[in-house]
Amino acid sequence: MQLAFMWTLKLALHYLFPKGRIGTFFTWMSIAGIALGVMVLTVVLSIMNGFDKTIHSKLIQINGQIKILSTSIIEDCTQWMHTLENFEGVSHVTPFVQGIALVQHGDYVQFPRCLGVDAKTVQSVLPLNTFVRSGDIADLNQGVFVTKGLAQTLNVNVGDIFDIYSPLSLEAIKRDEVLLPKELPIVGIFETEWAEIDKNTLLCSLETLQDLYGLANGVHGFSLSVKAGTSVQQLCSKLNAHLPKPLKAYSWMELDADFLHILKLEKAMSFFVLLFVILVACFSISSGLMSSVVRKTREIALLRIWGARRWQIAALFCWQAVFLSSIGILLGFIGGISVLHYRNDVIRCLTGLIFPKDFLWNFYSFSNLPVAYAWQDFALVGSLTFIIALLAAIIPALKASFSLVTRSLRSE
Amino acid sequence: MNKVLLIADKLTKSFASSKTERFCLWHDINIEISEGEAMAICGESGSGKSTLLFALGGLEGVDSGTICFCNQMIYHHSNPYTPGISYIFQHYYLIEELSVLENLLIPVRVMGEKVNAGVKDQAHRLLLELGLEKFSHQLPKTLSGGERQRVAIGRTFMMNPRLILADEPTGSLDEQTSLRVIQMFFSVCQKFKTSFILVTHNENFAMQANKYCRLEQGELKRCK
Repeated sequence: MQLAFMWTLKLALHYLFPKGRIGTFFTWMSIAGIALGVMVLTVVLSIMNGFDKTIHSKLIQINGQIKILSTSIIEDCTQWMHTLENFEGVSHVTPFVQGIALVQHGDYVQFPRCLGVDAKTVQSVLPLNTFVRSGDIADLNQGVFVTKGLAQTLNVNVGDIFDIYSPLSLEAIKRDEVLLPKELPIVGIFETEWAEIDKNTLLCSLETLQDLYGLANGVHGFSLSVKAGTSVQQLCSKLNAHLPKPLKAYSWMELDADFLHILKLEKAMSFFVLLFVILVACFSISSGLMSSVVRKTREIALLRIWGARRWQIAALFCWQAVFLSSIGILLGFIGGISVLHYRNDVIRCLTGLIFPKDFLWNFYSFSNLPVAYAWQDFALVGSLTFIIALLAAIIPALKASFSLVTRSLRSE
Repeated sequence: MNKVLLIADKLTKSFASSKTERFCLWHDINIEISEGEAMAICGESGSGKSTLLFALGGLEGVDSGTICFCNQMIYHHSNPYTPGISYIFQHYYLIEELSVLENLLIPVRVMGEKVNAGVKDQAHRLLLELGLEKFSHQLPKTLSGGERQRVAIGRTFMMNPRLILADEPTGSLDEQTSLRVIQMFFSVCQKFKTSFILVTHNENFAMQANKYCRLEQGELKRCK
């Protein structure tokens, strides 16, 4: 059986790489097509993985790994802090207050999203220091931090003072009272590189926002960090089993589920579209093998006369697809990884020819393309390419195995 | 007396010439070949020589009659392989991607036999016999027509056939080369005591065989 199988393998190799040559034109064109498709898929998927990873880490930095939210004010903040900190799997806890306020500086007015955090505990959950562009996060109790975008809109800088109007002012107006705005100095500017936040966000101390919203010691929720080795999703489920209503724990994946779904969809669509490169390459393998079948029709007839079975003739052509796709996949992966290794040089070179030096940073907020290799993607690309190439060989293989011996030998 | 190898009894073959009529190619053909015997069949183009040759090997079906090779009936079916029967064609049909030596070994591999030192030795002896030993590692495209046909002959003998069906093996060679090739073919057949049926246009070659027949108007007439 093994011998009956081996000659098909050897002959297939000889057809692709004849003695004394490093391969035929068909061989190298087919390999190039497959390699190109695999390389493009590898590059695109790895870069998308890189962006995904960057975005995931950014989402965790901004929200924390788990957020506990409530539809009403959480009054006994200290008690809950203690309970949550002692919960199995929870590493650190920080409370927060969030909402909208009206801010005014001279003639400029804005309605920024306000986030009040506890300066003592926040750094253990949210790495705010990494976002600070000017100022010190330790000064949070003495004023507010604004995002770069908000500072530009309000035309403010560190040291300036602006007025902040509480939503309670509206309630006061209803009672024919006037609630004067609070004057707050700007002690720092931060930037998360997350457009939605950087556009219009204000960061202040927990006490400032509690005072502004009239919450006394109440908070809107808690951000949690998780101990290493603990599953965020599992901890979330456990917390939800223990927390009384209306408190509910959300993982960072749940908080931005729609956005993460779009990212996944984008990756899937890119994969689907780029798969056509491989499909086209496999079509060319199919047509190449078909012309080989027509060219070698008499050889095939001879092999049949010598005792070759139909399946052996079919295998002879399927082996060719196996070799072409295997070499193509390997070269594609090598090419893809090489391109990814020199990606920043390549991009700088390409953009440098047309655009200004800081083009990427100014428009996309990155100067280095992030990359993450996922073995699952490599396995998927490799196996799909292999299967498509094998399917492409089936029609030529069937034609070869069912060709009529006498007609082939009489055809001249 | 040599053992009878192949007996064809009352073979008839016809083709549909139109929707209602059939054209009889040949009828009541009787052939008997013994071990080591050589037979030549001559005839005009289109007389059905090649079809008869293919029918004797089971590659082509017949309307009536029986073919018995080594006491086994030969039927035309999906597997064209008949152990003991090998072919030589006008065109050499060598595998261009393989060396001369590999071309000789490929039938052995296809038959599922191991290519051991003995088989390789047999191939080298055949190449020596056919004057091709210096070309053993060359590709067929570097050889002349006569040399290629000699490789095809060598390849046929690698299967250790008891009967060779040769369909105009010198048809695409010039006169001098044809003579050299056919002499070599006769001598190797004689050496290995292999029977053969040779279809040829050349009566001089045909006369060298033990039996010489002409296929005329659908009948096989014995001339020698």
